[in-house]
Amino acid sequence: MSSSFKGKNLFGSGPHRFALGKQGSLVLSNIALGVFGPGSVPLGLLELDVLVTGRLVSQSESGLWFFRDAIVAELVHPPTAGTLIDLHGRTWTGMSLITYQEADRTDRGRVRSMAYTAVFRRFQDPP
Amino acid sequence: MLTINPKTVTFAGVTWDNVTLIAVDRAAHKTVLEWSDLGAYPILSDVPEQKVTLKVVQSVLRDDIGVPRPGESGELVFRTAPVDSDGSRRRVSCQAVVLSARHEISEAKGAVRTIELAAISSDGAADPISITDAGGEE
Repeated sequence: MSSSFKGKNLFGSGPHRFALGKQGSLVLSNIALGVFGPGSVPLGLLELDVLVTGRLVSQSESGLWFFRDAIVAELVHPPTAGTLIDLHGRTWTGMSLITYQEADRTDRGRVRSMAYTAVFRRFQDPP
Repeated sequence: MLTINPKTVTFAGVTWDNVTLIAVDRAAHKTVLEWSDLGAYPILSDVPEQKVTLKVVQSVLRDDIGVPRPGESGELVFRTAPVDSDGSRRRVSCQAVVLSARHEISEAKGAVRTIELAAISSDGAADPISITDAGGEE
Protein backbone atom coordinates (compact mmCIF):
# COMPACT_ATOMS: atom_id res chain seq x y z
CA MET A 1 0.00 0.00 0.00
CA SER A 2 1.09 3.60 -0.41
CA SER A 3 1.75 5.99 2.43
CA SER A 4 -0.36 9.07 2.99
CA PHE A 5 -0.83 12.24 5.03
CA LYS A 6 -4.34 13.65 5.29
CA GLY A 7 -5.21 11.18 2.55
CA LYS A 8 -2.63 12.60 0.14
CA ASN A 9 0.14 10.49 -1.35
CA LEU A 10 2.88 13.06 -0.79
CA PHE A 11 5.89 10.77 -0.89
CA GLY A 12 4.88 8.08 -3.35
CA SER A 13 6.92 9.35 -6.28
CA GLY A 14 10.03 7.69 -4.86
CA PRO A 15 11.46 5.50 -2.14
CA HIS A 16 10.80 6.63 1.44
CA ARG A 17 11.10 5.24 4.93
CA PHE A 18 9.45 5.92 8.28
CA ALA A 19 11.10 6.18 11.69
CA LEU A 20 10.13 7.43 15.11
CA GLY A 21 11.94 10.25 16.85
CA LYS A 22 13.33 10.12 20.34
CA GLN A 23 10.79 8.90 22.86
CA GLY A 24 10.74 9.17 26.65
CA SER A 25 10.72 11.86 29.31
CA LEU A 26 11.76 15.45 28.91
CA VAL A 27 14.19 15.91 31.79
CA LEU A 28 15.65 19.23 32.87
CA SER A 29 18.60 19.56 35.21
CA ASN A 30 18.20 21.46 38.44
CA ILE A 31 20.83 23.95 37.26
CA ALA A 32 18.63 24.83 34.29
CA LEU A 33 15.78 25.49 36.70
CA GLY A 34 17.95 27.73 38.91
CA VAL A 35 18.44 25.16 41.66
CA PHE A 36 22.06 24.54 42.68
CA GLY A 37 22.59 20.77 42.71
CA PRO A 38 23.13 17.69 40.53
CA GLY A 39 19.54 16.53 40.32
CA SER A 40 17.02 16.72 37.52
CA VAL A 41 13.27 16.99 37.10
CA PRO A 42 11.09 14.97 34.66
CA LEU A 43 8.59 17.32 33.08
CA GLY A 44 6.60 14.74 31.13
CA LEU A 45 6.74 12.57 28.04
CA LEU A 46 8.18 13.96 24.82
CA GLU A 47 5.77 14.61 22.00
CA LEU A 48 5.71 11.94 19.33
CA ASP A 49 7.78 12.69 16.22
CA VAL A 50 7.60 10.61 13.03
CA LEU A 51 10.39 11.13 10.49
CA VAL A 52 9.95 10.37 6.82
CA THR A 53 13.20 10.22 4.84
CA GLY A 54 13.19 9.57 1.14
CA ARG A 55 13.66 10.86 -2.35
CA LEU A 56 11.15 12.53 -4.66
CA VAL A 57 11.54 11.30 -8.24
CA SER A 58 10.30 12.63 -11.56
CA GLN A 59 11.17 12.38 -15.22
CA SER A 60 11.12 16.17 -15.56
CA GLU A 61 12.17 19.29 -13.71
CA SER A 62 8.60 20.57 -13.57
CA GLY A 63 7.33 17.22 -12.35
CA LEU A 64 9.80 17.26 -9.48
CA TRP A 65 8.72 20.79 -8.51
CA PHE A 66 5.12 19.57 -8.47
CA PHE A 67 5.99 16.97 -5.82
CA ARG A 68 8.13 19.41 -3.82
CA ASP A 69 5.45 22.09 -3.84
CA ALA A 70 2.80 19.61 -2.74
CA ILE A 71 4.74 18.87 0.44
CA VAL A 72 5.59 22.52 1.14
CA ALA A 73 1.88 23.34 0.79
CA GLU A 74 1.25 21.23 3.89
CA LEU A 75 3.52 23.49 5.97
CA VAL A 76 1.04 25.96 7.43
CA HIS A 77 0.81 28.14 10.51
CA PRO A 78 -0.60 27.18 12.83
CA PRO A 79 0.09 23.54 11.90
CA THR A 80 -3.01 21.50 11.23
CA ALA A 81 -3.23 17.89 12.32
CA GLY A 82 -4.06 14.92 10.13
CA THR A 83 -3.56 11.20 9.90
CA LEU A 84 -0.19 9.82 8.76
CA ILE A 85 -0.06 6.28 7.36
CA ASP A 86 3.14 4.40 6.50
CA LEU A 87 3.77 1.81 3.77
CA HIS A 88 2.52 -1.03 5.98
CA GLY A 89 -0.68 0.66 7.14
CA ARG A 90 0.61 1.81 10.53
CA THR A 91 -1.48 4.85 11.39
CA TRP A 92 -0.68 7.87 13.53
CA THR A 93 -3.52 10.27 14.17
CA GLY A 94 -3.24 13.94 15.12
CA MET A 95 0.09 14.48 13.31
CA SER A 96 1.25 17.85 11.98
CA LEU A 97 3.97 18.39 9.38
CA ILE A 98 6.41 20.74 11.12
CA THR A 99 9.57 20.67 8.97
CA TYR A 100 10.57 19.60 5.46
CA GLN A 101 14.32 19.64 4.81
CA GLU A 102 15.74 18.99 1.35
CA ALA A 103 19.24 17.84 0.43
CA ASP A 104 21.78 20.35 -0.86
CA ARG A 105 21.06 19.75 -4.56
CA THR A 106 18.71 18.30 -7.10
CA ASP A 107 20.17 15.15 -8.61
CA ARG A 108 19.91 15.03 -12.38
CA GLY A 109 20.82 11.68 -13.86
CA ARG A 110 18.46 9.31 -15.63
CA VAL A 111 15.71 10.95 -13.56
CA ARG A 112 15.34 14.15 -11.56
CA SER A 113 15.31 13.48 -7.83
CA MET A 114 15.58 15.25 -4.48
CA ALA A 115 16.37 13.68 -1.13
CA TYR A 116 14.44 14.99 1.87
CA THR A 117 13.49 14.55 5.50
CA ALA A 118 10.00 15.47 6.68
CA VAL A 119 9.16 15.62 10.39
CA PHE A 120 5.65 15.16 11.74
CA ARG A 121 4.72 15.88 15.37
CA ARG A 122 1.78 15.06 17.56
CA PHE A 123 1.46 18.19 19.69
CA GLN A 124 0.49 17.64 23.31
CA ASP A 125 -1.53 20.84 23.12
CA PRO A 126 -2.54 21.27 19.47
CA PRO A 127 -2.27 24.89 18.32
CA MET B 1 36.29 3.12 -25.16
CA LEU B 2 39.76 2.03 -26.15
CA THR B 3 41.61 3.11 -29.25
CA ILE B 4 44.90 1.54 -30.24
CA ASN B 5 47.22 3.38 -32.59
CA PRO B 6 44.88 6.28 -33.43
CA LYS B 7 45.69 7.96 -36.71
CA THR B 8 46.05 11.58 -35.75
CA VAL B 9 45.84 13.08 -32.29
CA THR B 10 45.67 16.82 -31.66
CA PHE B 11 45.16 18.77 -28.48
CA ALA B 12 44.50 22.52 -28.58
CA GLY B 13 45.70 22.49 -32.19
CA VAL B 14 49.01 20.77 -31.40
CA THR B 15 49.69 17.34 -32.87
CA TRP B 16 50.72 14.64 -30.45
CA ASP B 17 52.96 12.14 -32.26
CA ASN B 18 53.45 8.44 -31.65
CA VAL B 19 50.29 7.95 -29.61
CA THR B 20 49.88 4.23 -29.06
CA LEU B 21 46.68 4.12 -27.06
CA ILE B 22 43.79 6.30 -25.93
CA ALA B 23 41.40 5.09 -23.25
CA VAL B 24 38.15 6.86 -22.41
CA ASP B 25 36.94 5.92 -18.94
CA ARG B 26 33.54 6.71 -17.49
CA ALA B 27 32.82 6.50 -13.78
CA ALA B 28 30.15 7.56 -11.34
CA HIS B 29 31.09 10.58 -9.26
CA LYS B 30 27.90 10.42 -7.22
CA THR B 31 25.64 7.41 -6.92
CA VAL B 32 22.05 7.36 -5.72
CA LEU B 33 20.96 4.06 -4.19
CA GLU B 34 17.73 4.04 -2.19
CA TRP B 35 15.75 1.46 -0.28
CA SER B 36 12.12 1.55 0.82
CA ASP B 37 10.43 0.15 3.92
CA LEU B 38 9.24 -2.84 1.93
CA GLY B 39 12.31 -5.04 1.82
CA ALA B 40 16.01 -5.65 1.62
CA TYR B 41 16.75 -4.51 -1.90
CA PRO B 42 17.23 -1.05 -3.38
CA ILE B 43 14.39 0.22 -5.52
CA LEU B 44 16.14 3.22 -7.06
CA SER B 45 19.61 3.63 -8.46
CA ASP B 46 20.86 6.54 -10.49
CA VAL B 47 24.11 8.29 -11.35
CA PRO B 48 23.47 12.03 -11.24
CA GLU B 49 27.16 12.96 -11.46
CA GLN B 50 29.66 11.33 -13.80
CA LYS B 51 33.32 11.76 -14.67
CA VAL B 52 34.76 11.09 -18.10
CA THR B 53 38.54 10.85 -18.18
CA LEU B 54 40.94 10.09 -21.00
CA LYS B 55 44.38 8.55 -20.88
CA VAL B 56 46.66 9.17 -23.83
CA VAL B 57 49.71 6.93 -23.96
CA GLN B 58 52.52 8.22 -26.13
CA SER B 59 55.94 6.83 -27.00
CA VAL B 60 58.60 9.50 -26.58
CA LEU B 61 61.33 8.87 -29.13
CA ARG B 62 63.36 12.05 -28.72
CA ASP B 63 63.88 15.02 -26.45
CA ASP B 64 60.61 16.78 -25.85
CA ILE B 65 60.15 19.82 -23.64
CA GLY B 66 56.64 20.63 -24.82
CA VAL B 67 54.85 18.58 -22.21
CA PRO B 68 51.23 19.66 -21.55
CA ARG B 69 50.69 21.13 -18.13
CA PRO B 70 47.89 20.37 -15.68
CA GLY B 71 45.11 22.89 -16.15
CA GLU B 72 45.68 23.41 -19.86
CA SER B 73 42.46 23.10 -21.81
CA GLY B 74 41.56 22.61 -25.44
CA GLU B 75 39.88 20.32 -27.88
CA LEU B 76 41.25 16.80 -28.07
CA VAL B 77 40.65 15.19 -31.46
CA PHE B 78 41.59 11.78 -32.76
CA ARG B 79 40.45 9.45 -35.47
CA THR B 80 39.91 5.76 -35.24
CA ALA B 81 38.78 2.86 -37.43
CA PRO B 82 38.01 -0.78 -36.69
CA VAL B 83 40.49 -1.84 -39.34
CA ASP B 84 43.40 0.00 -40.91
CA SER B 85 41.35 1.53 -43.71
CA ASP B 86 39.24 4.60 -44.33
CA GLY B 87 36.02 2.61 -44.02
CA SER B 88 33.98 3.32 -40.87
CA ARG B 89 36.47 5.89 -39.70
CA ARG B 90 35.28 7.87 -36.73
CA ARG B 91 36.31 11.30 -35.48
CA VAL B 92 36.30 11.46 -31.70
CA SER B 93 36.53 14.86 -30.06
CA CYS B 94 35.95 16.54 -26.74
CA GLN B 95 36.84 19.61 -24.77
CA ALA B 96 39.36 18.47 -22.19
CA VAL B 97 41.55 19.71 -19.37
CA VAL B 98 44.94 18.17 -18.64
CA LEU B 99 45.08 16.57 -15.21
CA SER B 100 48.56 15.09 -15.32
CA ALA B 101 51.48 14.18 -17.60
CA ARG B 102 53.70 11.42 -16.33
CA HIS B 103 56.65 9.55 -17.76
CA GLU B 104 57.70 5.97 -17.33
CA ILE B 105 61.19 4.99 -18.44
CA SER B 106 62.40 1.44 -18.85
CA GLU B 107 64.86 -0.49 -21.02
CA ALA B 108 62.09 -2.67 -22.42
CA LYS B 109 59.62 0.09 -23.38
CA GLY B 110 61.84 3.12 -23.62
CA ALA B 111 60.15 6.36 -22.60
CA VAL B 112 56.36 6.33 -22.32
CA ARG B 113 54.32 9.41 -21.51
CA THR B 114 50.80 9.09 -20.10
CA ILE B 115 48.62 12.18 -20.23
CA GLU B 116 45.42 12.14 -18.24
CA LEU B 117 42.62 14.53 -19.17
CA ALA B 118 39.15 15.33 -17.86
CA ALA B 119 36.45 15.67 -20.53
CA ILE B 120 34.19 18.72 -20.15
CA SER B 121 30.59 18.94 -21.27
CA SER B 122 29.39 22.01 -23.16
CA ASP B 123 26.36 22.50 -20.92
CA GLY B 124 26.42 19.81 -18.25
CA ALA B 125 23.77 17.70 -19.97
CA ALA B 126 25.47 16.82 -23.25
CA ASP B 127 27.89 13.91 -23.38
CA PRO B 128 31.38 15.45 -23.53
CA ILE B 129 32.57 12.86 -26.04
CA SER B 130 31.47 13.54 -29.61
CA ILE B 131 31.79 10.75 -32.19
CA THR B 132 31.17 11.58 -35.83
CA ASP B 133 31.89 10.04 -39.20
CA ALA B 134 35.41 11.04 -40.20
CA GLY B 135 34.79 10.42 -43.86
CA GLY B 136 37.95 10.95 -45.87
CA GLU B 137 39.48 13.64 -43.70
CA GLU B 138 43.01 13.18 -42.42
